[in-house]
Formats: sequence, C-alpha cells, structure tokens
Amino acid sequence: MKQAYQYPDAKRFPMKDFDMVKEGILSLIVITVLVLIVAAIAGAPYRPAVTNQQVAMQSPLVIEQTALGDLDGSGSIASYGPPYNNGTGSVQSIAGFSPQTWWGVSYPVNTATDDVITPLSMLASASGNSQLAKALSTYQEAPSATQAKWNQNLSNAFNKATVVGGTVKLPAGNYGPVAYMMNSELQLARSGLLSGALSRETNQGVYRFNVQNDLLFLQGDALHDIAGKTDLSGEQWGINHDEQAYPGPWWLTPYTFFYQVPPWNTSAAGDEMTAYTVGALFLLLLFVPWVPGLNRLPRLLPLYKLIWRDWYRDEKGRKKDNKADPGFGAQVGHNH
Amino acid sequence: MNLTARIRKQVSEQLSWDRLLPSEQPTYVSSLVYSFGVLTLSSLVVVIVSGIVMSAKSPVWYQTSTVGEYFRAIHFWSVQAFFFFMTMHLVVQFFMGSWREGRALTWVLGVLSFGVGVLTAFTGYLSRGDFFAQWNQVQSKDAFNGAGLNGFFNALDNGQIYGLHIAVLPTILIVLVAWHLIAVRGKGVVPPYPIEGNSGAKVGERS
Ligand code: HEM
Repeated sequence: MKQAYQYPDAKRFPMKDFDMVKEGILSLIVITVLVLIVAAIAGAPYRPAVTNQQVAMQSPLVIEQTALGDLDGSGSIASYGPPYNNGTGSVQSIAGFSPQTWWGVSYPVNTATDDVITPLSMLASASGNSQLAKALSTYQEAPSATQAKWNQNLSNAFNKATVVGGTVKLPAGNYGPVAYMMNSELQLARSGLLSGALSRETNQGVYRFNVQNDLLFLQGDALHDIAGKTDLSGEQWGINHDEQAYPGPWWLTPYTFFYQVPPWNTSAAGDEMTAYTVGALFLLLLFVPWVPGLNRLPRLLPLYKLIWRDWYRDEKGRKKDNKADPGFGAQVGHNH
Repeated sequence: MNLTARIRKQVSEQLSWDRLLPSEQPTYVSSLVYSFGVLTLSSLVVVIVSGIVMSAKSPVWYQTSTVGEYFRAIHFWSVQAFFFFMTMHLVVQFFMGSWREGRALTWVLGVLSFGVGVLTAFTGYLSRGDFFAQWNQVQSKDAFNGAGLNGFFNALDNGQIYGLHIAVLPTILIVLVAWHLIAVRGKGVVPPYPIEGNSGAKVGERS
C-alpha cells in the first residue's frame, strides 16, 4: 500500500535520507537573523513627502503657473483625456489600439473648477474675503474670449515675473481678476490648506484616501524638479533605484529598460508599448515549457552539468559497475 | 467511481504525508541550488510577519515611531531577500529544465508567483507614504492608464493601493505559493537530464 503513495521517481533512482523540516527551520532562522541585523544597521530609505505648501514656499511661481494652466486648460491634466476627462493630450494609442479610452472618464477631473475655482471660493467664504469673491464672479461672468486674453497675458507675464519675499511680482498688464486669483491660490498653498481643498471627497470627506487631485496638481514641474535632482525620472531608470543609497526595486529592470531605448522611449505611446511588450515577455516566460526551442535551451547550455555534477560523476561510476553487474540498473533504490 | 470517491483518492495520493513531507530524496538532490526555493519561502515568511505587524498598527506608526521604522526596515530588507532568492531560484530552475516530466504546472505557478510578487511589491512601494511613493504614483499612473488598466486601478487612490497591497495581492500570492509547493511535492524533484541525449552530452563533461 505504502509503495503506491511514493514518488514515481523513488522507483527509478537511488534514494538517500533528507531532512526537509530541518532544512526549512534552518533557512528560516538564517534569513530572520540576517534580515534583523541588516535592518538594524541599515534602516530603510525615507524622504518625506512633498507638499503643495513646500512648493509654494520654495517656488511660488510654479504654483501660480500650475494653477493658471489648470484654469485656462493648457495644463497637462486639463487636456489629459481618460480617465480624467475628455481631452486627448495624454491618450496613448498604437495603430488605433487604445485600451485607455475603453473605460471612459472613470476618475473625472475638471482642473479649472476642481483645482482653482472651488478651492478659491472655499477660501473666499472661509476668510470673508469679498475682494476674492468678487474676482471669482468677475472671472466667471466674463466672456470666454476675455478670459482667454487675461490668461494669455498673465501666462506671458510669468516669463518676466520675479519672486520677491515669497510672492510673485508681475510687470503691469491687463490680467483682469486672474492675477489676484493666482496670488490667492498661492497664499492658500502657503497656508497648507490647498492639499485639503484639492483632495477628492468621495463620501463626505470621511475617507480621505484618494489623493488624486492633490497629486495631479503636484505632478508637473513641482515633482519633476525634485525627482530630476535625485535621478528618479523615467529616462534616468527612475523606479529602478531608490532615492538614497539603498537597493531599489531592481527586479523592474526589464521594465525600465524599454524606457531607455527606441522606439519605446521616443513613441508618444511609450507607456502602452512598454506595458504590452513586458506583458508579452511575461507570457513567454509563463509558457517556456511549451515554447519550441526555448524549452530545449537549458539542454543545450551546459549549466545543468554543473548543478548535477556530483550525480553525473557518480553515475559514471555506476555505469562502470553496471557493466560488471548488469543486474544493478533494475534494482535502484534501497529497500525501505 | 463517483466524484467524491475520485476526489478522495486523488487527494489522498497527491497530498499524502509521504509525498508532502518525504524523509528521503533521490541522491541527485545534492546541490546548494536546491535551497533557493526554501530561502525564497523563508524570506516570504519574514515579509508577511513584518507586514502583519505594520498593518496591525498604522501607516503613520511605521513612518514616525522608532519601532515602526524598524519594522519598515525589516519589511524592506526581507523583500530584497525574497526577490534575490526568487530570481536565483527562477534562473536555476530554468537551467535545470525543471518543467520536464509533468512539472509544467509547477513552473507556471512559479512564474505567476513571480508576477504577483512584483505587483505586490509595487503597490508596497506606492504605500510608503514618502516622496518615492508620491513620485512613482504620478509616474506610474501614465503607464497604468496607457495600458488600459485605468478602468480598474487608480494609482493615486491610496485606499485602493493599500487594500491591494495588504490584503488582495498577498492572499493571491500565498495561494499561488502554497499550490506551487504542493505541485513540487506532488511530483518529486525533477531528475537530471539523461546523460546521453541528442545534444550528445557526455558523462561528467565539464565546460
Ligand atoms: C514565491 C516564490 C516562490 C517560492 C516560495 C518557491 C518555492 C519553491 C520550493 C521550496 C521549491 C522546492 C525546492 C527547490 O527546488 O528549490 C520549488 C521548486 C520549484 N520552483 Fe519554486 N518558488 C517560487 C517561485 C518560483 C518561480 C518564479 C519559478 C520559475 C519560474 C519556480 C519554479 C519552480 C520549479 C519548476 C520547481 C520544481 C523543481 C523540481 O521539481 O525540482 N518557482 N519552489
């Protein structure tokens, strides 16, 4: 009866004692001790998160430019496309294949209202600031051609703006209420309240897990400037290394590799191309046992001879013995 | 034979203690490379235990308290060990052609574990709550969106990332690894390539 339950191979090969449980316990002890020691000595990488408040303090112009881009629709999120809105700016497509668009606008963002108008009206009513309330209504009631002119003038003026004492100084010009609105947005960010005003409130603000709009506001120049300084951008093998002298997620190397070489790093659909290329490679790995050629590759490479060198050496001996005693081959295994 | 009887027979053969916990192995099992699987498993145990401690407390705890930071470091380094040993394990299993003789499912379950492991680690990096997490959230959103995963996944929603990282993906990973191990034990360790095959390899040949 017992015989039937044993491995098929137990009948084909000589067996030896092997203490699996002991090996497992030993391995667990070794790994645990090693990890506890390394963790105690080396710690783990940590660089505090960046906030809109910090950006407002260090680069006030970035906040105002981002807010203006959100207001006039020239910002990258304003025209992103699915899943945030109906734009086309960041829609990736390979010869018409664009799964990004299949799900519609799943996480809607209207940058002008969500990032600028709503936070500023909250600020106006919270602080009883009638000048800001008036600026907002002036802006919203103005014809869109006028709005566009103000925005354009201000956008040009930002190129000549200077930062004095934490605020943005502009040359004289016709900006309507927009310059004041942008300055208010900057003050809101400096106070630390902008992030809260941006965070999506999906259930009356009880779960503030979704930080989408806050991160989308930061994602442009604000974060790129900081990431570039720490070699984290995509073309610097970004995700591959951590921000300090620690090992990063190096196992993503095959993934980040494609961001370094054409056509993946030159295509506007580079992310999509990389995702599907890596997906295809993963399937190849998954189906190695059935891929002709690939499934015979290890047979052609001599590495298995190294791994099983003891066995092959002993086998040679056994073969010799076999010649002397042809009965041996049939009698593999001890009699347990 | 009815279904119940068939399942019972299958299970009692495949999952017999003789197969799950054999006290002997074929003599060809004599190389350190056989330890990579066990070392991967041990690292995974440390990853899971430290992860459970961290989720029992809170994200703020492991970012601000000394003990919390130590557990973050344990989690971080055991993940490095996990991927190191898993990669070595994958490479040697490839060179041993371990999918042979009915072990294809074992290989497939291993590759799936690798894939789910990568996703779990990625959502972990996004859950770090520091600049690295923020940065990779805004960077990877374009990749997830471009790939068409936006219908399901929002890389900027910390609730979803955290839930995936601490519950959904680890559960899938644990099931896959358990199944992988049962498959390994069910078949026994893959035998060496035969000495004289069509590639003409000779006994004891070194290169
Ligand atoms: C979560 C990750 C994994 C764990 C915990 C794990 C664990 C193990 C263990 C303990 C063994 C038996 C001992 C050994 O041969 O090392 C084993 C065998 C095996 N593993 Fe994995 N493994 C993992 C991932 C993988 C991956 C990524 C692959 C390959 C793509 C893989 C393929 C195999 C194969 C084919 C065997 C059978 C070897 C044989 O029959 O001799 N495993 N695994």
